[in-house]
Amino acid sequence: MKFIHYLEKISGVSIYGLSSLIIFGLFFLVMVIWAIRADKNMIEELRQLPLDKLKGGGKIILVLAALVLPGASTHAAGPPVPSSATSPFVVVAIIIIIILALAIALLANVLLGAAQIPVRSAASDAPDTAGNGVSKEPEELTYAGGLARTASPRSSVPMTVVGMILAVSMFASSPVSAEGSDVSAANVAVVGTTAINGVSDTAFYMISGVILLEVLILFTLLYNVRLVLSIHKKGQATAGDAAKAAAKPRISWWEKINSFKPLEQEVSLDLGHDYDGIRELDNRLPPWWLYGFYGCILFACVYMWRYHVAHSAPLSGEEYTISVQKAELQKAAFLKNAANLVDENTVKQLTAAPDLAAGQKVFETTCFACHGKAGEGGVGPNLTDEYWLHGGSVQEVFKSIKYGWPDKGMKSWKDDFSPVQIAQITSYVRSLQGTHPANAKAPQGTLAK
Amino acid sequence: MQIEKFYYDNKTVKWFGYATMFWSIVGMLAGLWAAIALYYPALNLGIPATTFGRMRPVHTNAVIFAFVGNGIFMGVYYSLQRLCKTRMFSDVLSKVHFWGWQLIIVIGAITLWAGKTTGKEYAELEWPIDIAIAIVWIIFGINMFGTIIRRRESHIYVAIWFYIATWVTVAMLHIVNSVELPVSMWKSYSWYAGVQDALVQWWYGHNAVAFFLTTPYLGLMYYFLPKAANRPIYSYRLSIIHFWALIFIYIWAGPHHLLYTALPDWAQSLGVVFSIMLIAPSWGGMLNGLFTLRGAWDKVKEEPVLKFLVVAITCYGMATFEGPMLSLKNVNAISHFTDWTIAHVHIGALGWNGFLTFGVLYWLIPRMWNTSLYSKKLAGTHFWIGTIGIVLYAIPLYWAGFTQSMMWKSFTDEGQLKFQFLETVTHIIPMYVTRSIGGALYIIGALIMIYNLRKTIKKGSFIADEAAEAAPLPEKIPTHGRTYWHRWIERRPMQMLVFSLIAVAIGGMIELIPTFLVKSNIPTITSVKPYTPLELHGRDIYIREGCYLCHSQMVRPFRDEVARYGEYSKAGEFVYDHPFQWGSKRTGPDLAREGGKYPDSWHYNHMMDPSSMSPGSIMPSYVWLLDRELDTSRTESMIRAMRRLGVPYPDGYAVSQANKDLAAQEVAIDTALKADKIHAGRNKEIVALIAYLQRLGKDIKAAPKEQTAMKDPEGRAIMGN
Repeated sequence: MKFIHYLEKISGVSIYGLSSLIIFGLFFLVMVIWAIRADKNMIEELRQLPLDKLKGGGKIILVLAALVLPGASTHAAGPPVPSSATSPFVVVAIIIIIILALAIALLANVLLGAAQIPVRSAASDAPDTAGNGVSKEPEELTYAGGLARTASPRSSVPMTVVGMILAVSMFASSPVSAEGSDVSAANVAVVGTTAINGVSDTAFYMISGVILLEVLILFTLLYNVRLVLSIHKKGQATAGDAAKAAAKPRISWWEKINSFKPLEQEVSLDLGHDYDGIRELDNRLPPWWLYGFYGCILFACVYMWRYHVAHSAPLSGEEYTISVQKAELQKAAFLKNAANLVDENTVKQLTAAPDLAAGQKVFETTCFACHGKAGEGGVGPNLTDEYWLHGGSVQEVFKSIKYGWPDKGMKSWKDDFSPVQIAQITSYVRSLQGTHPANAKAPQGTLAK
Repeated sequence: MQIEKFYYDNKTVKWFGYATMFWSIVGMLAGLWAAIALYYPALNLGIPATTFGRMRPVHTNAVIFAFVGNGIFMGVYYSLQRLCKTRMFSDVLSKVHFWGWQLIIVIGAITLWAGKTTGKEYAELEWPIDIAIAIVWIIFGINMFGTIIRRRESHIYVAIWFYIATWVTVAMLHIVNSVELPVSMWKSYSWYAGVQDALVQWWYGHNAVAFFLTTPYLGLMYYFLPKAANRPIYSYRLSIIHFWALIFIYIWAGPHHLLYTALPDWAQSLGVVFSIMLIAPSWGGMLNGLFTLRGAWDKVKEEPVLKFLVVAITCYGMATFEGPMLSLKNVNAISHFTDWTIAHVHIGALGWNGFLTFGVLYWLIPRMWNTSLYSKKLAGTHFWIGTIGIVLYAIPLYWAGFTQSMMWKSFTDEGQLKFQFLETVTHIIPMYVTRSIGGALYIIGALIMIYNLRKTIKKGSFIADEAAEAAPLPEKIPTHGRTYWHRWIERRPMQMLVFSLIAVAIGGMIELIPTFLVKSNIPTITSVKPYTPLELHGRDIYIREGCYLCHSQMVRPFRDEVARYGEYSKAGEFVYDHPFQWGSKRTGPDLAREGGKYPDSWHYNHMMDPSSMSPGSIMPSYVWLLDRELDTSRTESMIRAMRRLGVPYPDGYAVSQANKDLAAQEVAIDTALKADKIHAGRNKEIVALIAYLQRLGKDIKAAPKEQTAMKDPEGRAIMGN
């Protein structure tokens, strides 16, 4: 059976795949950053909590998450594999599904932790956790995903358990997915007459369904996290936050990459300049900026080298030659199989109504400017009489349209219309013979026999 | 030490401030007009002055030189006095500067509306105004350096470094690019031709952005941001490095406006790499601005001035990152000639220049009138309306640019172009409509500001001469603590001037001189001949009507462009083009190979009513060309001028033969028109324009193959034509 890959028909389609990948990548990144930037004390508190203290809602969510994850990842690896793993659509979809699954895992983890807070604040032994928070500071930066946590020896027992559940659910999915793929393959074989984006429609709907489901889960999780956190905040406000005040100020990634000095140390950087009250500090250049600058200079050197010394990259003219050669090959490959290989030697007068209608459409939107709406002539000659400047046979008219008569103001249309279209226009033009429209231009050229 | 008492001159600042507000509205309205004309061409009401081709230069010149120009002077006159702890050097010079500049603007606007233009973008003003600009600019320079020299502050602050670099570089750019030969009072021809003219023009054009829209505004940022936020400048080191790197690198990047054109490849590559290297120095300014706000971000939420400054600096960062990306050849292949460029410059113009000016105005006016802002809430409203305006302006245009470019490049499987040019234009009209709504919102915001400031002025009382006191400069300047080597030059404004000039001169010289002197950069094509007198008249009309603002004359070596327009353009084709007319935007199709594509009568009908020949066209009608008489008395001086510029007309041709040839060619075209039942009449401008359009791109067709063939570096021919 023949699968039609619709996406291939849109030029430059890879951009869509790329952009969706970027969007999801960004989404994931934002989530990771949020997780890193979330209040460390809070997360530290979460870490200390024994699992058995879980109450009502939290427990349900944990169970849900544990159930959903293996399910989601099963689908994630499942359907795409059989039909065509090479299809860019499927590849992108798989990547999206995996990223979403990771995001779900991460968020579920955060939620599990967050659910503990009300319990924790009730226990009210804040100073203790605050101390822990300081001691575990550096580790926090690696807090990027639930799975990473299992590897950390310092994680407390309950978190390890959660992590293991998550990990198992991920890995457990692989045998299942193998099964799943067989099933889908069978589906394709059976259903397989229709196809969307190069995969069977079953697979397509399954993939989109999974993505949709994952997005839904994500939003549910996010909603719950917010809910739990707002409860937490209320609790904080009443309980007071002595713990926070005691904790050492955290150095954020932002301060780190810019190598900021704490604001309190600003005085030591003051250069003593005073211009109408404007002072100047002597901060270091942001390292990423400086190395970025070096990088750009390096890029410039490599660029000049490649284009003008090594000649390993094509200059404008060469680029043009390459693109034309490539296009010629593509065109030749297409035309070999296409049935529309018409030229001035093989063209025949077409009489089918659709062909003439197609020709008429082009004529009335393009040719009419010079030849008149009814072919009566204007800037260009009258096409309805029996006089022709360059011959009135089907071959001659075809040739006139295809190559034009540039000296006389008739341009070549071969880059605008396909051979079949030109044949249609030719046939329509010749069908105008003897129609005697109003305002006909005086005959030009010779009388056709 | 004796403390001296003196007064700052606020009056000049006030006048420049009023002018800034006034011209901002005029310039933006002209822009709105041009934006609407793009989807409603009948907007010109049949008047030549209000067609897109004339409104667009009025808009660009008004916004750049009137709005931003007055904004610069307002900020410089305010900050320079305070940074130098002295009054401006001369009140008389301040006055001459102010009124001189306003006179230039008014005459400039009138002449542009009247079609008096050199045809070089952002340098359209004709030679008498060019001279006036140079004189006023020098007056400004004397006033500025006089002030700096008489300062009571030992070192000059970073803002002043930027003012100095601005002054010297703009002077250099303006003088070099405006070398032109006057033909009459309001007509001149560029000294340079074709490729060389293009390189000089975009060296100028790009650096007008750099040294008129960027460096002076960075200077303003360095004064007004720390003042408004009451925070110290984040890093003095960063100031030094990004200042010198910026002015040195910026000047090289001009050729990125000419990628894939007939400009020699080496110059294009220099444009690319220097644009990439420019990212860091530009971002240095943004970072120094944003990091200065460390510890003051809570103020940004409440203080409208800071809000405007933050968005301005952010837009600066976005535009200066996007710019280098657009300079990469593969991105440029998509973006160039489309609305993408327009969106890009408006991020800079509306965001960076506009918002920074607004921020400065909101800060300055209450201070000079010794009061507080009339309404912070209204300023907040202005901020949001303006921001939404920018978004609504830019996003549709990015979309339009990308879409149109993709449509241009689409081929069918059979290898034909998928879309006619006009289809790609009508497709993006909804985006043009949205863009004009965004622009209108932005103007509404500016009007709200003017109302707010008017109310502020009413409730305060103006301090014309603000009292201040400072100790005079001691004979020997004491140094204390750690000093940077750079402090040396900060005490020497003249050396600063000279070193800045050296820094900006290097890039220009390395790019310009070889293009002028090395012959292989512009290979000769023997079949390219000078224009006939009638064609030369037609060319003047083409320039007068601003055709180059919508039509390019540069077929780039792309498969789609060669298929659509014909063989790609060669450097040798433009040797008699004073000035070059390559254009920078394709609202209409390229015309480089227009000659012979359509009959004369097609052009006649098309000028009378474009939609009769191409339905749906957004080109306005040029009926007046059908009636206006051609002024053949000018022929002699035109040919003479061209001869002096090196165009090889025979001896005595101007006097004896030129008008005879002109008449003969007219008769030929007239005969062709008559055959199609058109009676043009004698001596009409339309005939000259048709003659010019029918000549475009034809010469090369008679050229021997080897002259136009591309050669690879080893000298082998890699493609014939």
